[in-house]
Amino acid sequence: MRNVRFFGNIPATKSRYGSHYGEKIFEHGGERYREWTPWRSKLSAMLVKGYEIDLRGEERVLYLGAASGTTLSHLADIVDEGILYAVEYSAKPFRKLLELAKSRENIIPIFGDASKPWEYSGIVEKVDLIYQDVSQRNQVEILKLNSDFFLKHGGKILMMVKAKSIDSTADAEQVFEAVLEEISKYFEIIKSDRLEPFHKEHIFIYCSRP
Amino acid sequence: MSYNLWFGKFDGVVVVSEDLKSSFALARNDGPLPFNVYELGLKVFGKDYYRLLRKTAIEFAEEKVEKELKSDDKYVIALVKALDEVEEAMNALKEKKDDLEDVRYTEIQEDFAESISNLESLRKRIEDEIESVMERIAPNLTDLVGAKIGARLLEKFGSLENLAKAPASKIQIVGAEKSLYKALARIRKGKEAKVPKHGIIFTHPFIRGLPKNRRGKMARFLASKLSIAARIDLFRGELEEGLYEAVRKRFEELRRL
Repeated sequence: MRNVRFFGNIPATKSRYGSHYGEKIFEHGGERYREWTPWRSKLSAMLVKGYEIDLRGEERVLYLGAASGTTLSHLADIVDEGILYAVEYSAKPFRKLLELAKSRENIIPIFGDASKPWEYSGIVEKVDLIYQDVSQRNQVEILKLNSDFFLKHGGKILMMVKAKSIDSTADAEQVFEAVLEEISKYFEIIKSDRLEPFHKEHIFIYCSRP
Repeated sequence: MSYNLWFGKFDGVVVVSEDLKSSFALARNDGPLPFNVYELGLKVFGKDYYRLLRKTAIEFAEEKVEKELKSDDKYVIALVKALDEVEEAMNALKEKKDDLEDVRYTEIQEDFAESISNLESLRKRIEDEIESVMERIAPNLTDLVGAKIGARLLEKFGSLENLAKAPASKIQIVGAEKSLYKALARIRKGKEAKVPKHGIIFTHPFIRGLPKNRRGKMARFLASKLSIAARIDLFRGELEEGLYEAVRKRFEELRRL
């Protein structure tokens, strides 16, 4: 993938910037890289498991559930000529996210609730990709709402699902099946897989809006 | 149709706001915009569009985040107190309604029933709000013991900071102070005493779900994890995977003994 390189089994992103969350920085072939361990980031885990999403580097991205910006910082390295709208509603991690947004010209931080896209409807433009990692019981509904508001036709979605957040008692496999079925009502699923051993009882779902 | 955009209003013509930060705060619309806000903004600001948007977004968020951080735990505490009052009022009304019923049937009873059901929906709303705020400000406490017990702990300690500073032993017995001091007084006199094993956290199913002689062990373990959870919530504010898992494991162990 663009600006991503594997060093052994661990990916790293080519970056002009320093460390954001304590990740290692190193030089290779005259370029600077930021280590991206699959244990810290679900997107990295997905890459390590051999999956890719197609990004050219100039996309407009809506990132729901940016938290303190760990994964976002690497995505910002990848989409280095694009724009990322980062939504997060929890104040504490947002502080850390703000530090990142201040140093990166391609991140627009939005302190808001992803389940209420109308509240930022006059801010976010139409996007090519929605990345969602929100661990909410109604995360499919949240995704659907946001894609109605902001996703271009043919735009892509990458969502991370944690079984326990949807239903803490049910069997993970059944939860995933139910989520996939729900998703397939609105979107075309491109690929999906579990993120073990890096993230227990998590899957990613990559799909597109028809 | 007029649309609210971060840089002003649009109803066929763009009216650029004089104060970008306030228009940014009010950029809400009932439904998706039938146009792309970026394309419109590009005509107004040219290549400065993203620079201005980013600057406004950062300034706006900075202010709001600091404000929220200062007041969030106080808000939950006020909600918990309000919840107690509402529940008390509900119980009082129910009692009076039953008293009336015993004497004779009157229409007044229906007014009581209506008031009670109003309070019931108010209670539900308060509970939902507690849940959503708790998930935001104390995700780890909420993960471990649920929003209700977590909020109750905050209320007892007065703030998230106080809770994070407290020793686990205090978290374990908070809510059972009366019996603790009674027991300590007896011990001081050299008498036998039963020291309480748990306070607020007793209501958690992982403790209540165990036989009496194992609840103390579970309470001690849960309290120590809660203490860690409160500290992560205070300083990092992100969910730490594995905390809940550890508590569940301990519960399973004790249950199978």
